[in-house]
Amino acid sequence: MDVWTLWGRTSTAGEEAQCLSAPSGYWQFSIGAVSVLIERRGLWVSGLLLSVLLLASLGYLALGTETLSLAALWPALQGNGDPFSVFIVQELRLPRLAAAWWTGAAFAVAGCLMQTLARNRLATPGIIGIDNGATAFAVASVVGLGVSLAPPAMALIGSATAASITFGLASGNDTRGYRFIVAGIGIGAVFGAVTQLLLSQVDIDSANAAYPWTVGTLNARSLGAVNLLFAGLLLGLPAAIALGRSLSGMRFSDAVAAGMGIPLKHRRIQVLTLAVLLTALAVAVAGPVGMVGLIGPEIARSLSSPRGVPLVASALAGALVMVLADLVGRLLLAPVELPVGIVTALVGGPWLLCILLRPSRS
Amino acid sequence: MSAQPAYLLEAKALCLAHGKTAVIDALNLTLPPGRVTAIVGPNGCGKSTLLAGLARLHSPNEGAVCLDGVDIQHLSARDLAQRLALLPQEASAPEGLTVADLVRFGRQPHQGWLRQWSVEDRHAVAEALSSAGLDELADRPLEALSGGQRQRAWIAMTIAQQTPLLLLDEPTSALDLGHQLEVFELIRSLAGRGRTIGVVLHDLASACRYADHLVAMRDGCIVAQGAPADVVTEALVAELYGVACTLLHDPSTGAPILTGLRRLP
Repeated sequence: MDVWTLWGRTSTAGEEAQCLSAPSGYWQFSIGAVSVLIERRGLWVSGLLLSVLLLASLGYLALGTETLSLAALWPALQGNGDPFSVFIVQELRLPRLAAAWWTGAAFAVAGCLMQTLARNRLATPGIIGIDNGATAFAVASVVGLGVSLAPPAMALIGSATAASITFGLASGNDTRGYRFIVAGIGIGAVFGAVTQLLLSQVDIDSANAAYPWTVGTLNARSLGAVNLLFAGLLLGLPAAIALGRSLSGMRFSDAVAAGMGIPLKHRRIQVLTLAVLLTALAVAVAGPVGMVGLIGPEIARSLSSPRGVPLVASALAGALVMVLADLVGRLLLAPVELPVGIVTALVGGPWLLCILLRPSRS
Repeated sequence: MSAQPAYLLEAKALCLAHGKTAVIDALNLTLPPGRVTAIVGPNGCGKSTLLAGLARLHSPNEGAVCLDGVDIQHLSARDLAQRLALLPQEASAPEGLTVADLVRFGRQPHQGWLRQWSVEDRHAVAEALSSAGLDELADRPLEALSGGQRQRAWIAMTIAQQTPLLLLDEPTSALDLGHQLEVFELIRSLAGRGRTIGVVLHDLASACRYADHLVAMRDGCIVAQGAPADVVTEALVAELYGVACTLLHDPSTGAPILTGLRRLP
């Protein structure tokens, strides 16, 4: 009789029930020859992060220059009640909340992928120049330079360009260590300079229009870019999870990972492509809020067990950071809005220092 | 562990290079099945590169490494990992893993998304832990182990992979005498159960004591191979290491023992 059985206690005749019990810390689900392990801690962590994210989202919808009570929020969410509240919730805050979720998740998953690939916690898309590449290209588009593609499309091309140059420079046997990060920082600096150069050469109106692309904000998003990002996440997150087993092995030194039967060359290209795509799609919505790619996975990793790569937890933590940062940005100097990129940088800077100075976990 | 049929690993006219520098030149070698083969030689003789070539970490410039007559370049990563396990010299693991976690990673080549844990996995991990004497330490974090225990944990991971072939690169290099013995005894017991083992060693004395087959290398070529008692001579030691010695034979095992070592001018 095939049933989903907890603890792998299957009733199939002839099976050695005691031998099927899952490794400690896991739940096993077996049906016939299919057997899936769920890590208990990972499940709890994801549940916890999701609950906090939902709470923060409620706060995000309720708070602002116009504060809604929970009693007013609920009907507004369902589209009835006071038309002004409905407008605020449905037209202003809900779409922006969705953008915060998707960008935060995308940045954090991309960060988690890159950190695992490079085996270095500093190797996030923001730090190794992918963000800067996207920004430079998007700004070029806004100020009307070169190809006449929309900024989001240009951001995509910019991310890919920066990532390819970095990989090209750091190629050879060491595509994951120190060289990679150094090359990425260099590329990021070059693209950062290109952005500044572009801004300095155009009139103030064009420079103003390009400003959101240089700091990162959820205020200037385009609906098309958000939809594209959502579609990218729908495909990208499962793809990342499908790579999870390999990713988990790729945290070992290369020779060990290869010995486990992981096709490293292919996996690296897949992981990098996925990270670049997610980053690019997210940058196309919110600009360079790359700090989330550092903070999100870091929160996820500090909560999760070291057995696997916490992709889902990273996505949730990234979304949470983005929601909170944007909420703070909206409230702190209200009615003036602080771009979310500035809030994450203000938090992320000290965070980065902590990571650099903290002794590694023993 | 079921005794597998002979999985024959051969290097055929194998040439390996680091960049443009040739390291291994047209080398032919067969690992005798079910035996411990020690590859020895002075630093820089190419023994580790050869092992990397045998495990496909290093692709050949010319020639081939064949497993039962099939060029290993034509095998998928997973197929190869089901037949051949490797313990590289600088093995590093993510922080915080326990011994059991590490050993479970050895099962990766046998698992998939829909087959994450099977009866075989469970048996293989339990057996690997017990044959490496790690039952008590299974839930300890790797960082909390001594060097010898940690090395046994790594070997247990390759044991759990249940491959007929096992390649180890200087598995005892960082260990004190007692821990070296632990590891060598484990290697012998694995060979006793039918595995073919290739191990790179820098210590000729341990190679003589624990290997069935000795491959002596110098400058990327094999200068001598065979049973240690037959191969190791005073002349060979002089040729390999530039060291003069007096050769004795272990009264109990007949293994050669080197004494009176002095550097040749």
